[in-house]
Amino acid sequence: MKCIGCGGEIGLTDEYCPHCGRKIEETAGYRGDLKNYKDKNAKTKKKLSQTISDNMSLVISAVVMVALLIGIAVAFYVSEEAYIFRYNALRKDAKKNYETYSVEIQRLLDAGDYAGFAAFKEYHNIAEWEEPYDDLRLLWEMTEEFISLAGSVESVAMFGPEARWYRPDQDVDSCQDAIRDFYHEYEYRQADIEADPYAAYIHDMKREADAILKVYLGLDDAEREAFLNASDIEETAYLEEVLVHDEEN
Amino acid sequence: MTKKTKTRILIIANIINLILAVLFFVAASSAVEELKFAYVEKDTIRPDSLRSYLERENYGVVANLSHPIRGGYEPAEDDLDYFLLGEYADMLFLKEIYAETGKTQTAQDCEDRAAQIRAQIPEYAPIFDKIDLSAENSIPE
Repeated sequence: MKCIGCGGEIGLTDEYCPHCGRKIEETAGYRGDLKNYKDKNAKTKKKLSQTISDNMSLVISAVVMVALLIGIAVAFYVSEEAYIFRYNALRKDAKKNYETYSVEIQRLLDAGDYAGFAAFKEYHNIAEWEEPYDDLRLLWEMTEEFISLAGSVESVAMFGPEARWYRPDQDVDSCQDAIRDFYHEYEYRQADIEADPYAAYIHDMKREADAILKVYLGLDDAEREAFLNASDIEETAYLEEVLVHDEEN
Repeated sequence: MTKKTKTRILIIANIINLILAVLFFVAASSAVEELKFAYVEKDTIRPDSLRSYLERENYGVVANLSHPIRGGYEPAEDDLDYFLLGEYADMLFLKEIYAETGKTQTAQDCEDRAAQIRAQIPEYAPIFDKIDLSAENSIPE
């Protein structure tokens, strides 16, 4: 705006004209309002600051309470999901250590130690369904069948002199199922096995299964074929005869 | 709100915070412990089963239950002997299979490992003898 005395440029809050020195009466009301506003603003700030200061301990207390509640919720969640966290961490580790683990897996496979391979794979949570271990998928599926066969025969074959065997019928049934499942899978998946990079190991696994039946069940090649083609009742009768031979058991 | 009311609220809030802090500490410790466990099944149930089957002289089952140790699992100090006894039985069982399939080196490795376990925990000699006998008897004549 301009000074009505000299026409010079003046500010809205100027009390005197900076050019002619005239007292500016026209904006006196505005200046008064501004002063009142500033005073009121200062009072409000002071009041606010006082309120905050008075309630600071309550605010801190509330913040701590919320933080603790969140912390407890997180801790409970971690407790509940600990297995998953650990499982995933091991899976990631297995991926990271692919080269080292592959060397160990190869060593176990070359030694024909499929039980060792299964134990290693399970302990390290190696995921055969995803890269970089996905080429182990069929080998692993057959290993599971093989371990089941070997384990079930081992469980019913090795008893101490004063053993207590509580459920021979069930154990013999499990043994029979495991034998049948392994040989069924081996035959049923022949085409997949032939195309698999680990085919040689799967065939070797079958040779070991044959050896288990020969050593622990007394079945040579011809007898094994006859056993696998026998009826359910005949199979059970044979296994009971060979395995449940000690009446004290 | 009067100053007296505020003080009361503050005292109550602090008491609640104290209780929450204790709860948080307990929950956090529990979470850390949970994360440490490899598998609940391996750390608790498996050693109990091992002991039970050992008492019942079901050495084949003991051998099966001890498999994780061959994969790298480290049992608690108190449970290690049970796992080793299982591994011993497993070695005797597997040795015969490898010998039958012509894997002489792997069969020898099993025998060596069995001898190593026997030497490691000689105080279980009577059980080792029973396992030896069970391995012999497991092969039909």
